[in-house]
Order: sequence, then structure tokens, then C-alpha cells
Amino acid sequence: MKSFFSIVRYDYYQRTRSYAFLITLCASLALAYTFVPEPNASYSTIRISDYIGYYNSSWFGYVTAIMTSIFLSLIGFYLVNSGIKADNDTRVGQIVATTPIKNLSYLLGKATSNFAVLFTIVCCVFFMSAMLFFLYNDGYPFEVLQFVKPYLLVVLPPIFFISTLAVVFEVLLGRYSVIQNIAFFFLFTALALASPLEDTHFMTDVFGSKIVTQQMITKVNDISNTATTSGLNIGYVLGNSKETKRFLFEGVDFSAAFILSRILWMLVGVFLLVLIAPFFHRFDRKRLVKMKVVTEQAMAKKRKVNAVILSALPAVQKDYGILAFVKTEMVLLYRHGKRWLWPINLIGMVLLTLLPIVTAHQYVLPILWFLQVGRLSELNTKEITYGVHYFAFTSFKPIGRLLFSQLLSGILLLLFLSVPLLIRYVVASDFLAVATIAVGGIFIVLLASTLGILSKGKKLFEILFFMITYSNINGLAATDYFGGMPHGSFYVPALALICLFLVILGVSVRYLQLRR
Amino acid sequence: MKLEIQNVSKRYGKNKYGIQDFSLAIEKGILGLLGPNGAGKSTLMKMIATVTKPTDGLLLLNKNNLVKDPNYIRRQLGFLPQDFGVYPNLNAFEFLRYIGAMKGVGGNSLMQRIEQLLEGLNLTEAAGKPIGSYSGGMKQRIGIAQALLNQPRIVIFDEPTVGLDPEERVRFRNLISDLANDSIVILSSHIVSDIDTIADEVVIMKGGSLLSRGIPEDIIKTVEQKVFETNLEKEHLPQFKNSHLLVSTMRKNGQLLVRYISDRPIENSIQQKANLEDAYLYHTKSI
Repeated sequence: MKSFFSIVRYDYYQRTRSYAFLITLCASLALAYTFVPEPNASYSTIRISDYIGYYNSSWFGYVTAIMTSIFLSLIGFYLVNSGIKADNDTRVGQIVATTPIKNLSYLLGKATSNFAVLFTIVCCVFFMSAMLFFLYNDGYPFEVLQFVKPYLLVVLPPIFFISTLAVVFEVLLGRYSVIQNIAFFFLFTALALASPLEDTHFMTDVFGSKIVTQQMITKVNDISNTATTSGLNIGYVLGNSKETKRFLFEGVDFSAAFILSRILWMLVGVFLLVLIAPFFHRFDRKRLVKMKVVTEQAMAKKRKVNAVILSALPAVQKDYGILAFVKTEMVLLYRHGKRWLWPINLIGMVLLTLLPIVTAHQYVLPILWFLQVGRLSELNTKEITYGVHYFAFTSFKPIGRLLFSQLLSGILLLLFLSVPLLIRYVVASDFLAVATIAVGGIFIVLLASTLGILSKGKKLFEILFFMITYSNINGLAATDYFGGMPHGSFYVPALALICLFLVILGVSVRYLQLRR
Repeated sequence: MKLEIQNVSKRYGKNKYGIQDFSLAIEKGILGLLGPNGAGKSTLMKMIATVTKPTDGLLLLNKNNLVKDPNYIRRQLGFLPQDFGVYPNLNAFEFLRYIGAMKGVGGNSLMQRIEQLLEGLNLTEAAGKPIGSYSGGMKQRIGIAQALLNQPRIVIFDEPTVGLDPEERVRFRNLISDLANDSIVILSSHIVSDIDTIADEVVIMKGGSLLSRGIPEDIIKTVEQKVFETNLEKEHLPQFKNSHLLVSTMRKNGQLLVRYISDRPIENSIQQKANLEDAYLYHTKSI
């Protein structure tokens, strides 16, 4: 038991004592700030037809809890789904493997530490929501129970479940991070869309939001004298704050069965860990070890003893070009991840060719680009990840040559994937669309690069890119960076300006990092 | 070719120094850096290699300020860091070509140079395989190859013999001797024997400061007639350790043969010929 708590504690320290976590925490607080819109804001987060609740403790507590439950369940998975991988990368795993700790204890420790990380964010959001109450409330008293209850019963169970699910996915799909991410997204969507109709079915809602929203709908139906109101909106809906009517929401009385179901969801997570524990690889990297043995045996058989004769080495030729960089960066991008994932990119390119041009542009392109998230997030974080920074940072003109080559390679990759769509637009003489896609590709590469440089890690960009793509697919025009939706004439120049800002920021920070 | 380190300091906190007021001038030849963990050897090497900047002082190569113009040294530098990494998906040729691009060398001669280096370092057979499949020693030899890619005039090796087998260590020492004919070679190691046989000059560091500097023979002289061996009962060892500077202990016929440094040897001690390891311990350890 002592070793279990040690794993949880030190794993938690390891994860939270990073710049990336600090940035994620700040981003979460910024997001939490928008959960309950300021009274004159032009957006809403939870809205039932034309109604939103009076700004009392219940409304603040339950709305922020629902938003946290849904958003943190989605984003939280991507935030914590590399705990085992980190042990593998840092080779702590090999030490863990030789200790008497049982698979289940280790995995449970990882899941608990995942939960602790997400719980830290939940706590920050909780205090932010309480702060928002004092800023915006409609003169209602502060009732602490109306905050604590929804966080306890709505937020914590799914966060724990997701924490265990992250470990399950890592054990089963550890080597296939892209598949892991996509599979979870589909699972999340399926869980979110499962729509319970009767009271008892609320127990099957892992996010615990439907029982709350159903009671809100019932309240609205009562005051609007309609039998059924179907206009429930959860998420960021822009420009519909006009004609808002108010209703009094006073919280939810959760039944004992519902409370029990919340505990059961947490137990389901533990049960999944029990199921997969025997399959945990325990850092026995068979493939790599096999490769090593083969390479070393080949070396031993054919070994000739030579020595470097310096005087016989040909003289060096100076070459300050970037072609060799770009070539190697392209090779690295190509070899990143599993090779059999490339057919998926090919399918995406075929869809860009065959589907109606609007569908191809609006839906297929952002998804195809998002599939490159692992490649893009490593563009200029890989030096530090792989310990090559000593060479990279002391190279000749590291910004003008190396960084530039990395950006160029990333842009070339995205443009290559978009070729079918670009050709279709060229044939249709729609050069504005071509320019928009090109600027969009540049934007996302610069975003990856700058966030990588700032955070010295991949997570921040990966989570943000995911959120952007999610919004793109849901038709949120504000996050359309590739011209998939109609825009005014300032769109391309504005995007180009953002790109310029990102270049200046990224280059300046990298310059300072190199000068330290 | 002259490298000057003038009153260089690297401060991390208010009163925490990695290197403190360190001065040294180096010309062609091999300079060996010795010191315990935390002595500042790696920090000093990283500053010379322009990985990190000093907080005070000057680093000059042929009178060029390396802080203001790091590219001056980067064009002619070969650096093997202690904890370097590789891109596991690249093979040796690809990785070395990439490093070549970083150093600003290319053309047909680069490929020939890579092939010859890999052959000289006995890596030709594995060169087409991903570096991720290499053993520690093979990776270390890739590190040595990359340091020699650009015909460096100043070469910095931080713990270069880690992972090399005894045969490879001997070949590496010969290679360094060759290199030193035309270049400045700075070499750090925990293994004193790696340094004493090849270094023209040795610097002993501790706590970020220079303790001693000179040719190995002169440094050894500081402990001459102070090194002794004696047999000791096992139970007397803890007390002996407290009152003498112990170099080594060896089991022999149920007793311990103890090598130690002292101005006043105990009875039945036999004086021994001092070596660099004795001198190193004498300077860095205090009773």
C-alpha cells in the first residue's frame, strides 16, 4: 500500500512540476472563465430554448460542473494518456519492472495519479466558478452546497473513469498513439450521444449531465407551458444572447440510485484495470530488444577491427544550404509513427478527390491535417525529447537554417496532403481558396512550432489542435483556419497577420533559449 | 589556435555557482579535466561549446568572443556531450548527414567522410539499421563520429569512454592523440587512467573552481612520498578511514591491503609509487 501511494505521489509531482502543466492549468482557468457568460456576453454555454437560469448559486455550480465534466473528460484524456509512455521514455519503467510491484498496483497508481492531475484542474475550475458567482450573481446568496454537490456527483466520477480509461488505452494501444486518440474520440462521442429518456437511464450517463439538463428542461417547460422543449444547447453558441428569458433553477435532488450509479462508474474503471492488468507489457519492449539483439549479433559476426585514420579522411566541403535539413526532416516526418497509418492519409487524399468540394474542404481537410498531430507537435520539440538539442542548438545558424527547415518541412507535408483539393480549386480557378488552404497550412505549422518552443512539449499544441478541429467539424466559424467556411475579405490578411505574429513569437523565444 | 577562459562564472541562484571565477588558456594539445560529480566539468565544456552562456567572464577563441559570436566556434567545433541522444528512426548515414548539415558541411566528400568514419569506428555493418536498435557502445561511437565530421579544430569530449569496451577505449585514446596534432582537445572523464596516459595537461576541478593544473608528472609530484600500502584487519578499517585518506582497499589472504595517502604513515606501511589517481584523490578529497 505504501508503494502504491508513493507511485501516486511522485508521479503526480513529476507531471505537475512542468511548464506544460502550468500552461494547461492557465488554459483551463481561461476556459473556466467562459463557462458562465458575463451578463452582456454575446454567447451562451447552457441554454434551454430561449431560457437561461437566474445567476444564483445553483446555476453557477451546476452549469460549471456540467461544462467541466464534458470538457475535462474529453481534453483530460489527452492530457494524461502518456503516464506509462513517460516511464518508458525516461527508462524509469525498466526499474519499475524489476521491483516486486504488481501490475494492478502499478496501473491503479497511474490511474490515481491521472485522477490527481485532473482533480487539481477541477479544483481550480471550482474556485474560478465561485469567483465568477461573486462577479456576476443576480443578488442571490452564496450557497456552498450548490457548488460542492454537482462537482462531487457530476464531475468527479467521469474524471476518475477517464483517468482509468487513459491507462487502459495505454496498455492496449500503447504503441499506436494516433489510434488511441481516435478510438477515444469515438468512444467519447458515443458516450456523449447516448441519450437516456427515462429517469432510471440517467445512471448510464457517465458524464452525469443529463439528469441536470433534464430537470432544467422540465423547469422551462413548466413556466413556458409547453409539453416538451427540445432546444437544449450545451457548448459555446455564439450570437444568441438576445431575447434571453430567465428561469429559476434551484439545483437537483439526486436519488440514492443515481448516487450509487456514480460510484459504480468509478468501480467500472477499476474493473477495467483488473481485466487488462495481466496484459500489461511491464516495459518488456520485445520488438526493440529483438532489433538490438539482431544488430549486435550481426556486428559480432562480421566484426573487423579498424581504426579511424584522420589523415586519410577527405577534406570537408562547406555547405550552408538547407536542402539536407529539409530532406532529413521530411524523412523524420514520414517515419514518425506506424507506417501502416499512411494508408489512412491516402484514403483522406482520395476523399479530397472524390467528395463534393465543399465537404472535402470543410470536413475532410481538417481531419486529414489533424491526423498529422503527432508529426507536427514534434517538429521542433523532438531535439529535446530525443536529446539531440546539444547538436541542434550548437549548429551553425540554428534559427535561420534548422528552424526554418523544420517549418518548411511541416508546411510541405500539409500541402502535399492537400494536393488533390488544391488541384480541384486550381481547375475551378478559385485561387483564393488555394491561398486560404496554403495560409491555413502555414498557420497550423507555426502554431505547432511556437507552442512547442514556448511549452517545450507537445501536449499544449496537441490539445489545442484537437479542440480547434473539434470546433471546425462542428462548424464554429471562429476557429476555421483553412477557409472551409465563407468569410469576409479580411480573412486571409488577418490569418497571415496571425502567422506573422506566431513567427515573431516563436523565433524570439527560440533565440532567447539559445542565448541562455 | 588559442582558447582563453577569463574569469568565467556560471551562476544559477543567488549564491549557487556551477563554475566560479575560472580562468585558463589552452593551445594545441590535450587538456584532461578531472573532478568529482558536480565539479563543473560539464558546465565548463557546455559553455565552451556555446550550449550555455557564462553569467560572467570572457570566452575567447583566437581573440573572438564566443558569447557574442557563437558561430565562430561552431564552424570548427566537434562536441560529444555526456548525455546526447539520437533520432531512433534514422540510420547512421542519415543521422550523420543531418549532423553534417547542422555543422555546415556537405558535398560528396561528406558521404565519403561518413563512410570512412563509420568504418574506422567499426559501425559499417550496422550503418543501414535504425540507430534505435544500437547498443550503448555503438551509440557512443556514433557520437564520436559526429564530433569528427567537420574536421574540427577544437574538440570537446565529455565522458567519451562511457559504454566503450576496453579494446575500443584503447583505439579511442589513439584517435585522440592523433587529433591533438592539429587541434585543441578537451577531455573529461571519471576514469583517471583514460586521462593520465594521453593528456598533455591536466586540470583538477572541485565545486566549480580550479584546484590544480599542470602536466601529469607535476601533479603527481604533489603526492610523491605520501602514498603507502599496509595490511589491515577488517574491523580496523572504519577507524582508519576516519584518520587517513584512503585510495583503495583490496582483499588479500583474509586481510585488507590498504592504499592510502598520508604525511605520517602508520607502522609497517610500505611507500608506493604515486600515480595520477592518488594525486586526484589527494586534491579532491579532504579527511
